[in-house]
Amino acid sequence: MVQITAAKPIAKMVGSNRVVLGTGIVHVTGDAKLPLAEEKELRRKLVQKALDALQSNEKQ
Amino acid sequence: MQIAHYLNQFFGGIGAEEHAGIGLEIRDGAVGPGKLLESSLDGAHVALTFVCGDNYAVEHQDQLTAAVLKKLREVNVDLFVAGPCFDAGRYGMAAGALCRAVQAELGIPVVTAMSEENPGVDLYRDALYIIHSGTNVTKLRDVVTEMAALGKKLSANEPIGSPAEEGYLRRGWLRDQLVEKRAGTRLVDMLLAKMKGEAFESEMPATSFAPVPMPAAIRDLSMAKVMLITDGGLVPKGNPDRIEGTAATRWGSYNIEGSDDLRGEDYEVSHGGYDTRFVQEDPDRLVPLDAMREMEKNGVIGKLHGEFISTCGRSNPLSNTRRLGREIAEKAKRDGIDAIILTST
Amino acid sequence: MQLTLADHPITDLQFGSPTRLDETVLTVDPAVLRSLLLEDDSIVSIDFDIVRPGEACRAGPIFDVIEPRAKAPGNGSDFPGILGAATTAGIGTTHVLRGAAVSVLAEISPDLTRSATGRVLEMSGAPAAASDYAALMHLLVIPHTKPGLARQAIEKVYRVAGIKVAVALARLALSHPSATVETFEPVSPADKTREGRPRVAYVGQIFSRQRKPEVDEPILYGANTDGMLPIMLHPDEWLDGAVVPSLHSWFGGTETYFYQNHPIILDLYRRHHAREINFVGTVATIAGSDNFDRDRHCRAAANLVKWNLQADGAVLSKYGGGLPHADLAETARLLENMGIRTAVMVSDVSRDRRVESALLFNVPEVDAIIYNGGNGTKWQVPRLDRIIAATAEFTELLAGPMTVDAANIVGVTNQQGASRMRAMVY
Repeated sequence: MVQITAAKPIAKMVGSNRVVLGTGIVHVTGDAKLPLAEEKELRRKLVQKALDALQSNEKQ
Repeated sequence: MQIAHYLNQFFGGIGAEEHAGIGLEIRDGAVGPGKLLESSLDGAHVALTFVCGDNYAVEHQDQLTAAVLKKLREVNVDLFVAGPCFDAGRYGMAAGALCRAVQAELGIPVVTAMSEENPGVDLYRDALYIIHSGTNVTKLRDVVTEMAALGKKLSANEPIGSPAEEGYLRRGWLRDQLVEKRAGTRLVDMLLAKMKGEAFESEMPATSFAPVPMPAAIRDLSMAKVMLITDGGLVPKGNPDRIEGTAATRWGSYNIEGSDDLRGEDYEVSHGGYDTRFVQEDPDRLVPLDAMREMEKNGVIGKLHGEFISTCGRSNPLSNTRRLGREIAEKAKRDGIDAIILTST
Repeated sequence: MQLTLADHPITDLQFGSPTRLDETVLTVDPAVLRSLLLEDDSIVSIDFDIVRPGEACRAGPIFDVIEPRAKAPGNGSDFPGILGAATTAGIGTTHVLRGAAVSVLAEISPDLTRSATGRVLEMSGAPAAASDYAALMHLLVIPHTKPGLARQAIEKVYRVAGIKVAVALARLALSHPSATVETFEPVSPADKTREGRPRVAYVGQIFSRQRKPEVDEPILYGANTDGMLPIMLHPDEWLDGAVVPSLHSWFGGTETYFYQNHPIILDLYRRHHAREINFVGTVATIAGSDNFDRDRHCRAAANLVKWNLQADGAVLSKYGGGLPHADLAETARLLENMGIRTAVMVSDVSRDRRVESALLFNVPEVDAIIYNGGNGTKWQVPRLDRIIAATAEFTELLAGPMTVDAANIVGVTNQQGASRMRAMVY
């Protein structure tokens, strides 16, 4: 499992091993300030990062 | 006051580790530390003593518990005492299990004693009063005296004071109390004590969470079945499973088979802890279906599971979330999921 | 910058004409207040009522509680940035009607995830014993807004109406001699009169970016804090109208009354006056919206405490829900690592009464924690004949008998340090 969240300290505190930093509390895998195309690109990159974490044995 | 007492093979006078395999013996009257119990409390009489080997107790816990409960149903006792166990781990586990069962099944007040690191403490502290015995067995008399005093209060149904007052290990519960000093004053008091190097007691102890073992990395993601889960409270319009926006007791799984995108008009958000309008506009901002579907189409992942799971993480006590996590994990196992992406607000 | 408070104790509050202050009796003509408030065309009508300590009555949902205060002419605006120009708060004399309060009732449902009744003012019984507000005379203000307004527009109407009435009442005292006068001693990081005394600062969150502020939501000198970085404030600015609560209520409890009577700042002043400490100043900060925002704010706040206030110790409080505890802890952690000792005050987030569910951080250095309770207490309140509310629905809902959570009685739980309800670990 990999967790995407903006509240990384809490995730780490409860013992989550793979944590990827999300964009914000109100839009974890998005960014309302960006135009749609850029937002989708940001989301793609974030999801890729999460998938990379799943393939790594390093804690993050 | 009539007392039933549980001891292991050592305190029961049978012998040390080599006798840890003996089964349950029931003796009339007090044995060993039980005599100290009687002398600590006026009018107290140990009616019977259960003695059992530590190994037997752990390996046959259910049978031991059943036998003890059966006997206690036949006699009339006002208090069940187990130990003191000090840092003997198997003894502590047995004492804790028996105390919990006696309290729950028979409604008899119970008390035990252990050292802080005894594994029985973490398992049973929230259910029982465990006197803090420390590890030093030479303190036996003092520990038994404290057990007797607390036991007396419990059987008389008297209000029980703080851990410091009564000598028990902090049980991990909270209760409110109206105090004289406002929080603001207490705050400045505490800072000044800390700055002066004086002793102070934090109103909240540090908590630690047990480490979670890290599952091995996925070797071949292009063959993996991935599932999306969120605690951000995204649910289909109408919230069919009535997932609560605070302290959710339920989770739901929602069909995304064949979808490339989550549309705001099909969903709503049940979560009182954040401004939900951005997710309401475009739920992919919380559950990234569009990006994941692309990953699937491009062969980066093997398959995106046809459902996403949702619940609400706001102000959710561990007594709920531990169960929710377990249930969701079981479903993931049943569905043959290889990997999970959890998005959290 | 030296604030002087001129106190006028109020022993009774009544309706009548003309509006006047006679010794300690305040007479209020609703018609005068009505015409004052109807200047805002968002308000179509207003009701008023008076409740006194010990009366068998209940009012709600409470939007805000404000102490009637008015600045002497020439000393700057009342609630600068909201009712007038953003002059610096905390200068000169402010007249206070002690023992009185203006409380605004809302017509709209508050946060339904917490409670349908919102915060309730209970003037008698067990809940009253736990709230300072039950010991005050309240003029209740019940604005009815015109239909079609957005939620935040309605809330802003409530905010402004409450402080307008509070100021108008206190202005009656301007020409009266006060019973007592208290001038706060100077506070400054450059203070030379308290050498050798521990230098103590206060860091207080005034908003949480768990949600975005509304465009015209007044919080700090009327500004909505959007994009704001931590700022140093003189303690008298907090006490004299520079800060008001955000429009949406939070479960921990924050009212204008306890900015005006800020328990932490007043306690620091008490020791400052007794020369136990050197109260060097305060920082107003905001809980962040994400990790970057949090790191930025926590560092900036800690830097102000370290390099500008040059404090040896700091007390910290939070605003908002659960997540701001992370900001609280991170700021304290940074301070501890800069050699500055800290104590923090947290809200009760435990629903299942387990300690493990209560703490939202685990930072070894942040080991001095004041724990505001409330989640474990409920009170049975009786059916009362006198219920004051903005609508028939609320009147029905509040009638009782019913069980009320302690956290829903206004004044019992509070993020400004006013609460006397503590969560004990056992």
